[in-house]
Amino acid sequence: MNSAALLARDSFVEMGARERARRLLDAAGFRELLGPFEGVESPWLARQGVVPQSDDGVVVARGTLDGVPAVVLAIEGAFQGGSTGEVSGAKIAGALELALKDAEAGVPIRPVLLFETGGVRLQEANLGLAAMADIHAALIALRQHVPVVGVIAGMVGCFGGMSITAGLVSRLIMTRQGRLGLNGPEVIEQNAGIAELDSRDRPLIWSLTGGEQRVATGFADILIEDDAEAIGQAVRAAFAAGMPAAHASQRVAFWRERLAQLPERAEGTALRRLWSENGSDREAGDE
Amino acid sequence: MTRPDGTERSWSTRREDKQRRLERAAAFADGRVLKPDRIVEALETIIVSGDRVALEGDNQKQADFLSRSLAKVDPAKVHDLHMLVSSISRPEQIDIFETGIARRIDFAYAGPQSLRVAQLLEDGKLEVGAIHTYVELYARMFVDLTPRVALVAAEKADRAGNLYTGANTEDTPTIVEAAAFGGGIVVVQVNEIVDVLPRVDIPASWVDFVVKADRPAAIEPLFTRDPRLITEQHILMAMLAIRGVYERHGVVSLNHGIGFNTAAIELLLPTYAQSLGLKGKIARHWTLNPHPTLIPAIESGWVESVHCFGGEVGMEGYIEARSDVFFTGPDGSLRSNRVLCQLAGQYAVDMFIGATLQIDGDANSSTVTTGRLAGFGGAPNMGHDPGGRRHASKAWLDLKTDTSPLARGHKLVVQMAETFQSGGVPTFVEELDAIEVGQAAGMPIAPVMIYGEDVSHVVTEEGVAYLYLARDEEERRAALAAVAGVSPVGLRHDPARTDDLRRRGLVAYPEDLGVRPTEAKRSLLAARTIEDLVVWSGGLYQPPARFRSY
Repeated sequence: MNSAALLARDSFVEMGARERARRLLDAAGFRELLGPFEGVESPWLARQGVVPQSDDGVVVARGTLDGVPAVVLAIEGAFQGGSTGEVSGAKIAGALELALKDAEAGVPIRPVLLFETGGVRLQEANLGLAAMADIHAALIALRQHVPVVGVIAGMVGCFGGMSITAGLVSRLIMTRQGRLGLNGPEVIEQNAGIAELDSRDRPLIWSLTGGEQRVATGFADILIEDDAEAIGQAVRAAFAAGMPAAHASQRVAFWRERLAQLPERAEGTALRRLWSENGSDREAGDE
Repeated sequence: MTRPDGTERSWSTRREDKQRRLERAAAFADGRVLKPDRIVEALETIIVSGDRVALEGDNQKQADFLSRSLAKVDPAKVHDLHMLVSSISRPEQIDIFETGIARRIDFAYAGPQSLRVAQLLEDGKLEVGAIHTYVELYARMFVDLTPRVALVAAEKADRAGNLYTGANTEDTPTIVEAAAFGGGIVVVQVNEIVDVLPRVDIPASWVDFVVKADRPAAIEPLFTRDPRLITEQHILMAMLAIRGVYERHGVVSLNHGIGFNTAAIELLLPTYAQSLGLKGKIARHWTLNPHPTLIPAIESGWVESVHCFGGEVGMEGYIEARSDVFFTGPDGSLRSNRVLCQLAGQYAVDMFIGATLQIDGDANSSTVTTGRLAGFGGAPNMGHDPGGRRHASKAWLDLKTDTSPLARGHKLVVQMAETFQSGGVPTFVEELDAIEVGQAAGMPIAPVMIYGEDVSHVVTEEGVAYLYLARDEEERRAALAAVAGVSPVGLRHDPARTDDLRRRGLVAYPEDLGVRPTEAKRSLLAARTIEDLVVWSGGLYQPPARFRSY
């Protein structure tokens, strides 16, 4: 990329959830389910001194992708770190279940998850966790019928319970700005100490969890520039490619073998050296 | 000449005393090169109790090997020093007051150590001569605060003692000049001793000793603002400033503060300002540290010249490749100079624009907001209208409101601040905290950063107040209140009065300037991340690790 391209670029990272969903879907036919004017808010946040948001930080958008009916679940990273609460979790789970009904009835549906989340919302802990279970059950049922595509654009990234969700999708698209990890760097530093991980050492954090590393080591499938047009094309191409031979989360033997050969110091470059040769061949399947 | 009592007075006592000290210290040196492992003993012979000692430390570069070594000298041998430190940044610069090595200090800024300074002051272990601005402290080194010993930092030296200070030349030549020509002793820590220097920034005849530091001098990347943290509110204010100040007055030469508001302006030049057709008409000549956020404007051909107070970590390679824009030596690397850049910033540029933390109803401002006494740095000098200026320029004349034949222009002194700081703390207040802090510290005057009488414009997210157009104090206050939002000062504003002020051009709201607040989006920024800045620089800018992500 050069400076002219930088100026011309339509940054996806800079967009809010609603704008991302609108930009991703085909130009005509955008509509929102349980949109902000329906006012379904978290009943828990106000009691804890947090101002709720009238969409609870999740946009459920219907429309089409290349003319095929689609549902985009876009998480708003700017609201409570994109965390999953009772309402926002139910919106995601419910939308996936609706998509499942369509898929079971043979109605075409293209489900897309736009991750931007630190995981379960601490203020609604158990309800958020329960929602995770619903989301994962629905996603696994849905992916038997149609591919499910995930995008981690950044800058919040995708952590906690939602990183497991990202691990369940059929194809995962990331930008270099995006990060994917079970525990966020601040959490690791707090629990294991700064000697284990300095959360302010950004090159280190990205060398472990950044999009480039995650794609190089086979935890995500497609690395894309931060450009709305390019991301839109990548999502469409991911659906056009059809179902993967196997979902990453089904390749248990493959991951076991990898874990067995973990290097002494499992930092970014060592993992990349070790895993990049066999990491890219995710489509092969080993069940 | 013989004195009345018959004795001869010597007129070269300082030179003779210096010679005696140099001879004693020679035991710890090989020619001009001090042995690093004997540095503490060397300092004990070079420095004598009660000396005035200039210890180089500004907001960027610190002679930290020498300050750590000074903290190790025996307080029984060396005590009661009078320190001159422009910016107190390191703990050991303060430790020496606890051990009694030093007793008195003159400084300009005490950012990270301001709480300890206040504590030691209260405990009676530290006396403050005065809290200066940078140029005042350096100026006084040539009047009544000439250092007996100067402890400074350079990047490289040769064996003869010539110095290469490079991109971070900053204050070094000034301190060295005051000491070397005032009969003092100059000791320089260097990162490397080499046979051939890239260029000579300070000649060997000004230098008494060099010593190789145990690790490179500490340098802070203080002027790097991550575009990721620029908000839409910053962008709106930047748009208001570009239209309401830069375009309105045709501001060609200027200095920017280090806040995110002015970083937003730098990043809007190649996009928003370009779309307004302002390229070549504004912002061509700068007195400014090498802000990475200026890279897109430079690359787009907006910037003709930049003279720098100091360097900036990571910008070295970029600057070398853009020598038409920056002041560079024959070796290619940047030559910064704080005092000359301050001078240029006062007399040669038409505008200072910067942020602040508190503004009162009369537009006096201060960054002193809590119980800490941070000092001034350079902002009060940049942020004032120098009465000694005589050359005219369009922008300077534009602010002339008096029709008398003796009237002169005015420097644009622009304060840019959101009406509230984070956490809902108002920026516009009835009384500056500085008044109480100044009284508590026993300061003869309140630590005001920029006086209201110098301020020509105030820009907030509400609009622009053209204070220089006010006919009297009362009208000034009304214009300021009109852009102060719902802060205590803003709540005093009278809507009918504001309408009149808008008609007469003392107050402009976004619609008066053709600015649409809904267009204030981050997509307007020429770079939205540090990585974008690297791309703009063609890979020449190498951000420090803490600013990089991938």
